[in-house]
Amino acid sequence: MVPTPCPGSGGKINSLSWKWLVAGRILLVEDDPQIGDYIARGFAEEGYTVDRAENGRDGLFLATDSQFDVVVLDRMLPGMDGLAVLKALRAAEVETPVIVLSALGSTDDRVAGLTAGADDYLGKPFSFAELLARVQALTRRGTGRQKAQDTVLRCADLELDRLTRQVKRGTRKITLQPREFRLLEYMLLHQGEVVTRTMLLEAVWDYHFDPGTNVIDVHISRLRRKIDDGEEQALFHTVRGAGYRMAAD
Amino acid sequence: MFGRAMHQRRLSPTMLRLVAAVFVLQLLSSAAAIFFLRTQMLDVVRADREDQVIDVRDDLLAAFYSGGRESLDDFIRDQRGSVADPGVFVALAGGSAPALTSNIDFVPAIAPGPRPQSVLVRRGDSATDQEALVLATTLPDGAKLTVGLMGASERRFNLAFAAAIGLTIAVAVALALLSAVVLGVAISSRTHEIAQAAEELAAGNFGMRLAEGQSGDGFDHLRLQMNQMAERIASLVAELGAVSGALAHDLRSPVTRLSAAIDTALARVDEPGAIEALQAARADADGLRAMLETALEISRLEGGTAQDRRVSLDLAAVVADMAELYEPLAEQSGVTMTLDLAPAWIMADRELISRALANAIDNALKYGGTAITLRTCVAEGEAVLEVADNGPGIAPEDRPRVIERFVRLDNARTLPGGGLGLSMVNAVARLHRGRLELGEAAGGGLSLTLHLPR
Repeated sequence: MVPTPCPGSGGKINSLSWKWLVAGRILLVEDDPQIGDYIARGFAEEGYTVDRAENGRDGLFLATDSQFDVVVLDRMLPGMDGLAVLKALRAAEVETPVIVLSALGSTDDRVAGLTAGADDYLGKPFSFAELLARVQALTRRGTGRQKAQDTVLRCADLELDRLTRQVKRGTRKITLQPREFRLLEYMLLHQGEVVTRTMLLEAVWDYHFDPGTNVIDVHISRLRRKIDDGEEQALFHTVRGAGYRMAAD
Repeated sequence: MFGRAMHQRRLSPTMLRLVAAVFVLQLLSSAAAIFFLRTQMLDVVRADREDQVIDVRDDLLAAFYSGGRESLDDFIRDQRGSVADPGVFVALAGGSAPALTSNIDFVPAIAPGPRPQSVLVRRGDSATDQEALVLATTLPDGAKLTVGLMGASERRFNLAFAAAIGLTIAVAVALALLSAVVLGVAISSRTHEIAQAAEELAAGNFGMRLAEGQSGDGFDHLRLQMNQMAERIASLVAELGAVSGALAHDLRSPVTRLSAAIDTALARVDEPGAIEALQAARADADGLRAMLETALEISRLEGGTAQDRRVSLDLAAVVADMAELYEPLAEQSGVTMTLDLAPAWIMADRELISRALANAIDNALKYGGTAITLRTCVAEGEAVLEVADNGPGIAPEDRPRVIERFVRLDNARTLPGGGLGLSMVNAVARLHRGRLELGEAAGGGLSLTLHLPR
């Protein structure tokens, strides 16, 4: 996905400003040393503790032995295949969230990964921002995260009622198309977290491919105009190179 | 693999010619058998009659030797013994007594010989000549004894034979026709069976195998060879899959590293010029990734290794969803999108159809002018999905080319994209056993139509 900043976006969010929110312990199982280094360095900069394994056997041993917040697991590993590791983990009742990385990015492989017990699946090549966003979504450490069963979702003075399907910003009523409603609902459920374009395509439109053009950006900027135009406080923020974030700060 | 269009079964000109040839050969062989039989039977009948003539002559000679010329004369006159047959005639001339005949007006002049000969004679009560077997013998007293047998029985035999042959030909024709049709159907069904296997192969089901017989005939040979061919293709495809998997791993990892490096750099610089350059590099890295992914996806689709995830769905709903996704972008680009959707239920893979549709809409947005029409309907038993625009279109001679991988027309070279969009649409159409047609839209632009069998 081309990270084109939207017109009138919130600008660059410095990683310093949300580093403290997300720290956790990550197990990275990746055999390519260079990619491993990049991912490990990226997470370390975001405040995570990263343990590393370079093959499936070590990965399985570490994952069953100690507590991690997330396991980042490469699909193609020497010794023991990533999916076999995943199945062994789940068989051993280790419920740590697992995100599978794979050069096999087709839908078939994604389905295979999810069936084997993965919580998310990311095809290579990916941007680190995409991986970070998904890991954050899995660790559920975003600020003010709202529960999936809440009937009213709020962010500052924005209010979305999932039963009456009404949206208000302060006293102003906002009329949304059904898809815009779902988009806003998803953004509110994940407020404080970075939400990428592919995450939105998957969750709101149920497409697991990249249409290649900035279709999502245009949807977001339309919704953003309805929510933020004329308001002092902007709730939509563009995260350069990654996606969007909804937050009151 | 995906659903199959049955080849329409009918008698082709080749088949018709084959059946006709079998029919004619059958008929000829029947005719030859009948002719041979007739000749043989005639020979037997003739030999019988010759024996009969010789027997009569021998009886007469016995009478002559026991009682002399008078006894012979009495024998003939009284038509005793073998001479009593109305078909038999006798003539005695020369020697010591006057000439004597029975049953005959005119005595044929033939030379004495050991075997009877065929000559024309006239009987007393008949106006016409008829064929007879005649044998002449010289008696010891110098008289000439001529003995003959009228040919009536041969003619009767011929009449009976003519009646029989009519019936025989009718039965032979029926049998020949039946065997020709049975043969035709048998060959046709075996050929269809093999053709169907070839169709499976073409559709990417390389695991198919034909049942091999032990008879060693041409069909078994063909089946054996087809199976060996399928085996070879399967191993090649598997090899290709392994190679493209390795290629994916080998190429994607560096591209991931490239993207990661750009991201790292992006997070650390604040200089606008550097950010701009890095973002351009990032866009290119993403383009590279998308191209790689699409190329591999096409290989997967064409290799027939994609999993069957087809469900019963309405093309109109799929198109409506995709139109909803693209509508804001179209509006922003100043393009109006019109929907003309009639329900068209088919078994299809939503993800792949959506992907093909996204490529088609993308293509229309990039090159297609100011209006896009999306249409679905059912026509001639096929589900039809059309994406039409009012842009410059594609010249008819260029149309087959743009479906090929990595082919881009000159006017497209300045725009981003890898030249894979329409190849992808084509691969999806083929996977659904359908086809992609490029034509001219009503407004003069490009009309891109997917025909998918229901």
